[in-house]
Amino acid sequence: MNPLQARQLVIDVPGRPAGYPLNFTIGRGQMWGVLGPNGAGKTTLLHTLAGLRLPRQGEIFLGEQPLTALKRRAVARQMGLVFQERQDGFPASVLETALIGRHPWLAPWQMESDLDRQLAEQALQQLDVAHLSHRLVSTLSGGERQRVSIATVLTQNPDTWLLDEPTNHLDLHHQVAVMQLLRAQAAAGRAVFMCLHDLNLAARWCDHVLLLYPNGDACWGPAERMLVPAALERLYGQKLLTVEADGKPVFVPVPTTGES
Amino acid sequence: MASMTRWMRFAMCGALWLALPLAVAEPRCATDDLGQEVCLDAPAQRIAALSPGATELVWSAGAGDRVVAVVAYSDYPPEARQVPSVGSHTRLDMERLLQLAPDLIIAWVTGNPSGQVATLRQMGLPVFAIEPRSFAAVSHTIKRLATLAGTEAEGFAEAERFAAGIAGLQAEFAAADPVPVFYQVWDAPLMTVNNDHLIGEMIRLCGGDNVFGELDRLVPRISVEAVVAANPEAILAGGMGEENRHWLTRWQAFPGITATARDNLFFIPPSLVQRPTPRMLQGTRLFCEKLEIARARR
Amino acid sequence: MSRRLISPLLVLAVLSGLAMVLSVGVGSVALSPGEVMAALLGDGSDLQRTLVVELRLPRTLSAFATGGLLAVAGALMQVLLRNPLADPYVLGLSGGAAVGAMLAMVAGLGGLLVSGSAFAGALLATLMVFGLAHGTGSWTPSRLLLTGVVVAAGWGAVITLMLAISPAQQLPGMLYWLMGDVSYARAPVPGMVLLLAVCLAVIPFGRSLNVLARGPMQAAALGISVRPLEWLIYVAASLLTATAVTMAGSIGFVGLVVPHMLRLVLGNDQRLILPACALAGGTLLVLADTLARVVIAPEQLPVGVITALLGVPTFLYLLYRSR
Repeated sequence: MNPLQARQLVIDVPGRPAGYPLNFTIGRGQMWGVLGPNGAGKTTLLHTLAGLRLPRQGEIFLGEQPLTALKRRAVARQMGLVFQERQDGFPASVLETALIGRHPWLAPWQMESDLDRQLAEQALQQLDVAHLSHRLVSTLSGGERQRVSIATVLTQNPDTWLLDEPTNHLDLHHQVAVMQLLRAQAAAGRAVFMCLHDLNLAARWCDHVLLLYPNGDACWGPAERMLVPAALERLYGQKLLTVEADGKPVFVPVPTTGES
Repeated sequence: MASMTRWMRFAMCGALWLALPLAVAEPRCATDDLGQEVCLDAPAQRIAALSPGATELVWSAGAGDRVVAVVAYSDYPPEARQVPSVGSHTRLDMERLLQLAPDLIIAWVTGNPSGQVATLRQMGLPVFAIEPRSFAAVSHTIKRLATLAGTEAEGFAEAERFAAGIAGLQAEFAAADPVPVFYQVWDAPLMTVNNDHLIGEMIRLCGGDNVFGELDRLVPRISVEAVVAANPEAILAGGMGEENRHWLTRWQAFPGITATARDNLFFIPPSLVQRPTPRMLQGTRLFCEKLEIARARR
Repeated sequence: MSRRLISPLLVLAVLSGLAMVLSVGVGSVALSPGEVMAALLGDGSDLQRTLVVELRLPRTLSAFATGGLLAVAGALMQVLLRNPLADPYVLGLSGGAAVGAMLAMVAGLGGLLVSGSAFAGALLATLMVFGLAHGTGSWTPSRLLLTGVVVAAGWGAVITLMLAISPAQQLPGMLYWLMGDVSYARAPVPGMVLLLAVCLAVIPFGRSLNVLARGPMQAAALGISVRPLEWLIYVAASLLTATAVTMAGSIGFVGLVVPHMLRLVLGNDQRLILPACALAGGTLLVLADTLARVVIAPEQLPVGVITALLGVPTFLYLLYRSR
């Protein structure tokens, strides 16, 4: 597995001066959570790491090679991205949508085989959307569509997972299921890097955390070092109350004036 | 001829008599208006006329009984309406045309689709393209058609009759006082003709002075203001069909125009002037009469 | 190739064949099937051979090629612009071709020079839109679409101007070119060859097109080089459209509706849709042209009217049924 590595990376957020350079490696078995308020640049960071946007400065490496030196297909075999927003221009079925995850593995003239279809169906099964295989994606609920997106990357089977708010639209049961699936992926030797807006999810599931501040500051490291109330309150501009559950911290936002 | 001796005249007649059998065996040739020479081994027996004007001219040449195909709107002479149609002059039904097996095709220079005419030429069919642009050209065209059809007797006579009629009118009105004239070809858009157009020639012959004669385009589109500014003494207009005079009513709203003030608004049936055929003689006569009326009202 | 792809294509191929047979067998001169066969084999009277081999056969093949080219170009445009309302003319291609053709007509040229001029006009229009949409930095489909729509309107204005100021005697020719007419098409071979070449080229690119249709970001994340592929689609669609318009003027409707109709029935796999568009577009235009030739013979109708009259009810029926 070639780990994804940021070296002196400064993301390009238009209109904002260059932020703190990022230097980290998303190593095998790790589950990273990226936290920050709206507009901090989480999605921009994710897209930059995936090679879809150019950084302002710095480089990204996959293993020993810079991302820019690799062919897109090679990158797609090692890295998968679950987007936050989707464009579904033309009607497609759920199974077809999961199947496109096989694209980086197939030669141009190769048709999808039964094996490919099986892989897609298994992925859909794992995300509990197999019963919707033949439905059009445009008819799905938000949560179902989200799970299909994750199933697509599961079919793609990359070494590094990049996810942009994967639990959006998901009910509690499916939130837990998805996080468990990601943890299993990490345990199997892959790496997971996800942007989260819910800081408690990061607290519960992530072993590494990256904090992105709206002015461009950043810090990262093991979760227990990053998830300190002072840093988090500064990050979100919101007073927090810390509680413990099951050995992990839970942060509750507290209104600053009026009620207790 | 008068200056030759009787002896020479005998010799010439004798020579002609000897030459006659040879003449019959020689191909009949004529050059069309695109500069192509068309030669037929025998007089044309099955003629296709690809525009209403061509139809009229073929009939004038005396070859009407040999026409096997016409196009839409070939309404003159009335016998032409009985002839099978092969579409419109802008879009031909090639299959039907070929089925009628013409041995001579009379095309119209502008109007027939060049692609389809090219196909006919490629198939080896003789295509003779015409479009008379002057009185002299009308006679010349009738004579050429008559030559190709072998109907010289009738055709040449008709051509001469037309030329003589035009010449007569020309002589009659050579010294006439010029009358500023506006000829209206179409109503919406408002169109007229310049001096190069055949109708322009007609106006000149009758002693008219086309107020838009100097314009560059053959069929200019003009504005109502231009007509009012030009202040013609007579307005002649065609119309939508042979009886519809309503184009002239527009000009009644402008009493400042001399033509309106003197009621010199004259209707000319379009079929008599807008096809370059012998009927133009009637049209020209009508034109000249109207201008005379205008002169009388001065 | 899997059976899933083969059987609808076979059905369409059979339909195409039947349409072409009908087109060659039917015309304003009635010929029996036996006479048509004889003419094709070289027997029969001169007239029959001329009608079948020199008139009907090239016209049928030209109609097929034109219809196929337009339908495939439409499907490609819809993928490129990720918009099911795109058609081959949306980027102003047919406007440029029309202006090219009309300039040639005004200059008194005919035949091949008009076609050549149309082709040049189409390519110029393509380059113009591409260059303008490029602006500062790279182009996006929506920018391309907007630029194209504006440029197309510009060409439309130029066409109207030319119609207004051209000598009256050239108007019928120009109007018929604008309406589209298969009777102009003389040489079907280049169009057929191009159509076949593009359908074959689709095979390796087909799945990439499917993924591209999901959006450029998603496509890039799955390993597609988005810009080069979009370039390729743009050039291919332009070439197809320019060829079709050069052959038969601007025939509308086929490029918009055929891909849609096929998508309603066959789904969205471009590897199936593109060859199916070639066959179905060709069939539609062959049938439409046959009707245009005979329905009120000897008067000949413009084929664009018939494609609309045939296509609209069919499309509405399919749309209704798919609910």
